[in-house]
Amino acid sequence: MELQKTTTSSKLEFAADVIQLASGVSLALFLWTHMIFVGSILFGVTVFNRLAAFLEDFYFLHAAVIFIIIAFIAHVGTVLRRIPGRWKDQKIVWQHAKTIKHGDTWSWLFQVVSGSAILILATIHVFVVVYGGIDAKLSSARMHSPFLWFYLSLLILGEYHASVGMYRAAIKWGWMKRQTAKRVFGIATLIFLVIGLVTIGTLYMLGGAV
Amino acid sequence: MGRQLSLHIMRYNPDTPEIKPFLQTFRLEEDERMTLFVALNKIREEQDPSLQFDFVCRAAICGSCGMLINGKPTLACKTLTKELPADITLMPLPVFKMLGDLSVDTGTWFREMNLKTEAWINTEKQFDPKAREERMTNDQALKIYEADRCIECGCCIGGCATANIRPDFLGAAGLNRVARFMVDPRDERTDQDYFEIVGNDEGVFGCVGLMACDDNCPMDIPLQEQLAYVRRKMAVAGFRR
Amino acid sequence: MSTYDIFTTDVLVVGAGLAGERAAIEAAEHGHNVIILSLVPPRRSHSTAAQGGMQASLANSAKGAGDNPDVHFADTVKGSDWGCDQEVARLFAETAPIAVRQMAYWGVPWNRVVAGKKTLPDGSEIYDDPEKEGLITARNFGGTAKWRTCYVADGTGHSLQYAMDSVVIKLGITVHDRTEAISLIHDGTHCNGVVARCLRTGKLRVYLAKSTVIATGGYGRLYGASTNAIINEGTGMSISLETGVVPLGNMEAVQFHPTGIVPTWILITEGARGDGGYLLDKNLHRFMPDYEPVKKELASRDVVSRRMTQHIRKGFGVESPYGPHLWLDIRHLGAKHINRNLREIANICRNFAGIDPVHELIPVRPTQHYSMGGVRTNINGMAYGLEGLFAVGEAACWDLHGFNRLGGNSLAETIVAGMIVGKQIALYTKEATLNVSSTGIREFVGEQEDRIQKLVNCSSGNENVYQIRREMENTLMEHVGIFRTGEALEKAVRKLDELYRRSQRVGLQSSGQGGNPELAAALRITGMVKLAYLIAAGALAREESRGSHYREDFPKRDDVNWLKRTLAYWPKGADKPIFEYENVNCTELPPGDRGYGEGSSQNAGASAASK
Ligand SMILES: Cc1cc2nc3c(=O)[nH]c(=O)nc-3n(C[C@H](O)[C@H](O)[C@H](O)COP(=O)(O)OP(=O)(O)OC[C@H]3O[C@@H](n4cnc5c(N)ncnc54)[C@H](O)[C@@H]3O)c2cc1C
Ligand code: HEM
Ligand code: HEM
Ligand code: SF4
Ligand code: F3S
Ligand code: FES
Repeated sequence: MELQKTTTSSKLEFAADVIQLASGVSLALFLWTHMIFVGSILFGVTVFNRLAAFLEDFYFLHAAVIFIIIAFIAHVGTVLRRIPGRWKDQKIVWQHAKTIKHGDTWSWLFQVVSGSAILILATIHVFVVVYGGIDAKLSSARMHSPFLWFYLSLLILGEYHASVGMYRAAIKWGWMKRQTAKRVFGIATLIFLVIGLVTIGTLYMLGGAV
Repeated sequence: MGRQLSLHIMRYNPDTPEIKPFLQTFRLEEDERMTLFVALNKIREEQDPSLQFDFVCRAAICGSCGMLINGKPTLACKTLTKELPADITLMPLPVFKMLGDLSVDTGTWFREMNLKTEAWINTEKQFDPKAREERMTNDQALKIYEADRCIECGCCIGGCATANIRPDFLGAAGLNRVARFMVDPRDERTDQDYFEIVGNDEGVFGCVGLMACDDNCPMDIPLQEQLAYVRRKMAVAGFRR
Repeated sequence: MSTYDIFTTDVLVVGAGLAGERAAIEAAEHGHNVIILSLVPPRRSHSTAAQGGMQASLANSAKGAGDNPDVHFADTVKGSDWGCDQEVARLFAETAPIAVRQMAYWGVPWNRVVAGKKTLPDGSEIYDDPEKEGLITARNFGGTAKWRTCYVADGTGHSLQYAMDSVVIKLGITVHDRTEAISLIHDGTHCNGVVARCLRTGKLRVYLAKSTVIATGGYGRLYGASTNAIINEGTGMSISLETGVVPLGNMEAVQFHPTGIVPTWILITEGARGDGGYLLDKNLHRFMPDYEPVKKELASRDVVSRRMTQHIRKGFGVESPYGPHLWLDIRHLGAKHINRNLREIANICRNFAGIDPVHELIPVRPTQHYSMGGVRTNINGMAYGLEGLFAVGEAACWDLHGFNRLGGNSLAETIVAGMIVGKQIALYTKEATLNVSSTGIREFVGEQEDRIQKLVNCSSGNENVYQIRREMENTLMEHVGIFRTGEALEKAVRKLDELYRRSQRVGLQSSGQGGNPELAAALRITGMVKLAYLIAAGALAREESRGSHYREDFPKRDDVNWLKRTLAYWPKGADKPIFEYENVNCTELPPGDRGYGEGSSQNAGASAASK
């Protein structure tokens, strides 16, 4: 055994893995819940506005922002150790994926890519929403602008990352068999993509004209 | 009349490291029920006697002949050519030290892994030649055997991107080996003892769930379940610490 | 002369199969330094291929009740057709149960007794005693009076080898894998180690030891159709023979397994028949009961192989591009049983022949399987002719198997002999000193360097090693198979004589540099042809039938003239072997009828035909 190993706590790596799991899963659950909230626009502008007001009044919004900040830090902090840091390792991993042509290996690489993209996109998004405020008028105005592309990318990347992340967590911990997990999270992705697209469409149609 | 096969085989000679590994193409007529074992030997005997590769049992028992066949890590001896397209690319398994052409040093890697995981029955008991054997249920025995079936072919290691960038990672074969002793009632190690060995990034927490191991194990060992089993056990041990 | 590394140790074990590793463990536990050499990583040794099981009279299973070492001894002697050394067989039968239990202690997951009533495939019922629940169980194997073959599903050899190697790793025993011993170092009376070639780099090395152990396994690959791993080329035997002073015993005793799958010759284990599989002919008629009404498919191997060949010769074989074969039928055992207990068989059928044994018949034919002969040793495992040279396992003629080995007795031999001989090695080594001069070493290394030079430079000729090899394989297959006649054997000897000469004129086509595989093959070929020569010439000389050695022109066992063991020498510089004979030790059981085989006549086949 090497000196470094005997002198560092052997629990650290375990703790990191658990935090990664907890932060990832709660972020995924957050995303899905939030999709449903935003989706309330489908029931009309009033519903959406009331819900937004309700969340603000009872400080849910603040709670959500605090949660997001903590979860992001925790998640990024733990996940970074997984991302091949050195250029050489990056090359090996991509080359490897190309050689062995293996689905789950590719999906992990895209998880890294989508995660990195989300880091930037979601940070901007949260800033904009929190400082700009939430109501149907504002939201749909944001949507009816070049920002539309921003949201479409965030939706697809976010969904992809959340679903693949949940799938991976489920099989790593053995909550499900792989086939089952693939089916369950495949269906979940489909549902949330549809909700998301319809929501974006509705907001776009409103186009700030509320 | 069989198909005309083109085998693109990675050539590499450790004595001439300045020559980078390259693919050399050999052409061969396919025979009925031809396996890659038959094909490679034919090439060696009839076309290039310097070609290096490893076969021992030619029956998918010994684990010598793992290689990348059109990218997939698997055993060459149990691969029928008729299941492949006429263009076949053969490369040595990654991760392991290259010994020449398709031959890699899996033996050293696995011995080290077995040493690191102390892959033997750890017990304080002494063997008594006069005593009857200790009892065990047949189901227990079969459960141990399920994990014991690993033939150390290295397909799970060569196919794992994590193992490719982390030389100290025990990989699916290592974790499955540990699982084999965890379910063995004769081994007196506690979960805390196992945590010392695999409750870290070299062990089960280094696995990111790529599942190439599970997809490529030629013995069909349920590696996803085995890895999850070890992970859950180590999580419980980690919390209790 | 180039430089080479020298390694010095107390005990040098050549071969990391079960026999070699077990002996190494014993020596190491007695405090000796041990180095093991192997062509391949230990866990790739041929021992891992054994599927069926290991015999030991534990008497735990229902059909094993009443078993004990006496019964095991008697079965072994009968199986050997009285060719074995009975003192060895006695020692073996007494030790086998301890060996099985020790392997359990080291981690082998032996299948266990499950109490309760079970129905066998033939409809009879057995009842496993609850008192025995959880003890090591056994399955039925050919030629045994009781169910005595302990097993681990159908990966017995695999689990044994892995458990054994785990102890080797635990004890920190040095293993140099990918290293091939190519010559013994000796002074005509003492063995001092070996010259070896590193298969990674091609470099020569010298290993010096007080005791040298040959544990290199069998020579199956001399035959074209063999169930053996491709590394089983008998090199340990040939380097011993090469000394000129060490004899090989009973080389003509070659076992054929009844069921090699056509056409890859991978073994379908006896377990398939033990669990109730049938042999069928082209009319899908189950013919074995016609020949062997009592034991049926489970008579000893030589008998079943011969009956199958006999039946094929009568025209009942199934024609195929690879020659006629018979069918093995396990369909009636059911998908569940096949996929669980006979999983590896099922995999072999699917992967290597594209057959699903749950629904389809398996094409099988008798195939070379085991070499009873080997380096002749005394009961302590020390080779005749050289002090400090030992042999264990299939490479040895200890002589437990005589002219026919029983299924499951070979795994048992590797481990039991490893224990017993290992202890003798330890005792011998304690008293021994290493006495070897540097000129002596240089001479042996120089000899090997010369050979390599000649091969690389093609200075003796341009013969193709693979060509010679193929001709040798075909000669043995054709003329030195299950049925033997003087005429065919003479042909074989003549051909092998020619091949022997040609083998000395081999030249390489490739460069021979580094871990070159062609050079490795070329270095072995002369030794292999010599072994083939001993088999053919020994068979020609032995004018009787005994165990697996069956002469059509001498169909009866002849205890008056041939209750003898063949000792074959190849004197230094000679161009043919010489044969000596020694008496067989019959301390307990005088020669008698085996109760199966030749006693029951050829006519049985006729009644088969009329059915
Ligand atoms: C398919 C099959 C199934 C079988 N099933 C059974 C069964 O069910 N029950 C049973 O009892 N028996 C069975 N047998 C027989 C049994 O497996 C073997 O006889 C036994 O395993 C031999 O063990 P060993 O240790 O003597 O040699 P091996 O296991 O063959 O080991 C030989 C070792 O020597 C090394 N070696 C060889 N030459 C050299 C050299 N020149 N230099 C250095 N190292 C060298 C090799 O690398 C290897 O490590 C079976 C055999 C076959 C072919
Ligand atoms: C902030 C930027 C983010 C980055 C850089 C990132 C990156 C990653 C990476 C690389 C992994 C794989 C780790 C591994 O397999 O060991 C991962 C896992 C995961 N991520 Fe993210 N992610 C980010 C944000 C998110 C968000 C917003 C969600 C929720 C929608 C999320 C949900 C998950 C989940 C559920 C996992 C699986 C956890 C596990 O397997 O333990 N991530 N993330
Ligand atoms: C506290 C945190 C967050 C709040 C308050 C919030 C709020 C909102 C609101 C109000 C909208 C409607 C559009 C708009 O007003 O701009 C929206 C849309 C969206 N948000 Fe968030 N968000 C938060 C975090 C996140 C995170 C972390 C992600 C991504 C991983 C995300 C992904 C999306 C997407 C994809 C849309 C597009 C609408 C849809 O497809 O349903 N949001 N969010
Ligand atoms: S777990 Fe499977 S793939 Fe990995 S080494 Fe063992 S047998 Fe090979
Ligand atoms: S491929 Fe590698 S990362 Fe884990 S799931 Fe298998 S060990
Ligand atoms: S040669 Fe043994 S597994 Fe392929």
